[in-house]
Amino acid sequence: MGKRQLAMVMDLNKCLGCHTCTVACKQLWTRDEGMEYMWWNTVNTMPGRGTPRDWEQMGGGFREGEAQPGRLPRRAEFGEAWKFDHEGSYYGGQGDASHLGIKGGSPDWGPNWEEDEGGGKYPNSFHFYMPRICNHCTHPACVEACPRGAVEKREEDGIVTVNEDRCRGYRFCQSACPYKKMYFNHQKKVAQKCIFCFPRIEQGVAPACARQCPGRVRFVGYRDDEAAPIYKLVDKWKVALPLHPEYGTEPNVFYVPPVGPVSYGADGDIDESKPRIPDEYLVSLFGPKALDALVTLKAEREKKRTTGASELMDLLIAYEWKNMFGGFDRSPEAVSVIHWRKKS
Amino acid sequence: MKAGFVPGVPLQGLLDAQAPAWRKAPAQVIGLTGTPSALQPTAAVRAEFPDGRIGAVKQVSVSALHNGSELAFRLAWQDASVDTGADGQDDVGFPDAAAILFPGSPGAPLMTMGAPGLPVNAWYWRADEDGRGRQVTAEGLGTTQTVDRDQVHARGRHDNGGWAVVIGRSLRARSAGAVAQLEAGAAASFSVAVWEGSHGERAGIKAIALGPLSGWHELVVDRKA
Ligand code: SF4
Ligand code: SF4
Repeated sequence: MGKRQLAMVMDLNKCLGCHTCTVACKQLWTRDEGMEYMWWNTVNTMPGRGTPRDWEQMGGGFREGEAQPGRLPRRAEFGEAWKFDHEGSYYGGQGDASHLGIKGGSPDWGPNWEEDEGGGKYPNSFHFYMPRICNHCTHPACVEACPRGAVEKREEDGIVTVNEDRCRGYRFCQSACPYKKMYFNHQKKVAQKCIFCFPRIEQGVAPACARQCPGRVRFVGYRDDEAAPIYKLVDKWKVALPLHPEYGTEPNVFYVPPVGPVSYGADGDIDESKPRIPDEYLVSLFGPKALDALVTLKAEREKKRTTGASELMDLLIAYEWKNMFGGFDRSPEAVSVIHWRKKS
Repeated sequence: MKAGFVPGVPLQGLLDAQAPAWRKAPAQVIGLTGTPSALQPTAAVRAEFPDGRIGAVKQVSVSALHNGSELAFRLAWQDASVDTGADGQDDVGFPDAAAILFPGSPGAPLMTMGAPGLPVNAWYWRADEDGRGRQVTAEGLGTTQTVDRDQVHARGRHDNGGWAVVIGRSLRARSAGAVAQLEAGAAASFSVAVWEGSHGERAGIKAIALGPLSGWHELVVDRKA
């Protein structure tokens, strides 16, 4: 067990599905050759098959502490980066007859292919957005699977990184990670993954996905910082839960489950007794504690509505944006250089 | 087995598995065994590869030649699929590979790829790095390290449903690392490892040649022509 652990809380009640986080990450970290298909941050419309497609059926992780076999995701299951025919449409001399299209065959999958699907039946259809990054797990399947010790969990902050000098591209980490948040760079032939923006963290700057988020969805900080929002949301109010706790890796990314709207009854009237997002669905994602979290969230909403005061709601509303970052609130512009450096 | 003496034939001239010198070299068929699952260094690897799923290639035909200063092995085995790695194979493919192993110091254990203080040395060929071999050392499972990429030469060709791969190096290596230093006229211990990419074999998931000398086979670097 390391000295401290960084963590993130994402409030699913506030996510807009705008993908600013995804693009911020892409711009910063995954623009090189061999990384085209990589989105260390993904946002999926739920319910859905996710990214990579059907990742929850790919195995890995632990059951009663025992490592479970997993399988490698295919690049096509993530979705290839599409190439667009700029030359043909701009310079092909066909004028309006040609439209910008995708080169090659038309794709049948992508990182958020089911963007406008969701679940339920009209008028009780529902959806919410779920962003995912690497969970920087306390019991990281990726670290424990690598026969070369090439995946490391940093002592000082629990961030999980790949030592690309040790990595030989064996991808045991990729099958072992039950969240399928380990990627393979087929150009450099090494595993790569979310680094929790550690070069920013080391300068007191929050990860790009969190700082750029217009929805104020993401809280950042040390797990044990009792004065900061992470501790309050996870440990004090118990409204932030790990995704698929049954995978046994003890994630350090936590989600505030979405309360969602109420249902319509058969008569077309609002039925307050039934949530639009089925309880069973949320339990299947976040475990039975999701129900307790929903009770607390609803009670505190009501309290805020009637009395105007709720510590929990004030935290989640995030009136002061910078208070979401557990002290990692410096501006990247205030920092002279943020660069990728090797640990000495 | 014996490495025949072919004076005046440079290693470069032997790298082609069809080179005339190989036609006269006697080949020995050596049986291969999968490495035991229990020996794999992590629980995830053991879970993914139980016994019976390791060691797809069952035998390899081996011949060896030297010219007094350089030594080459020719390995041939049946393999219907040409696996050259992940690129173009949707990232789930693994390349076929082979290696010649030597103790880097007397008493180095083969099954565990050496042990702390008892290194082994591998001359390694991989289908996606064809032409450029790797010189590798290890002191236990999961500790392999590439020492250099210019002393070991390796080239493979795939035809008639199988691989023929030549792997060679100077008998004496320029290296401070724990690599095998061989000598014409002397005997040495060696082994062979083959990885079948289409079965997901990589790292310690491989088939190895177990011989009578604490796991090693004997190689006599013959001085006579
Ligand atoms: S989410 Fe996957 S890649 Fe990230 S630390 Fe956990 S097991 Fe490793
Ligand atoms: S930037 Fe924020 S609001 Fe937009 S998709 Fe990402 S987490 Fe959701």
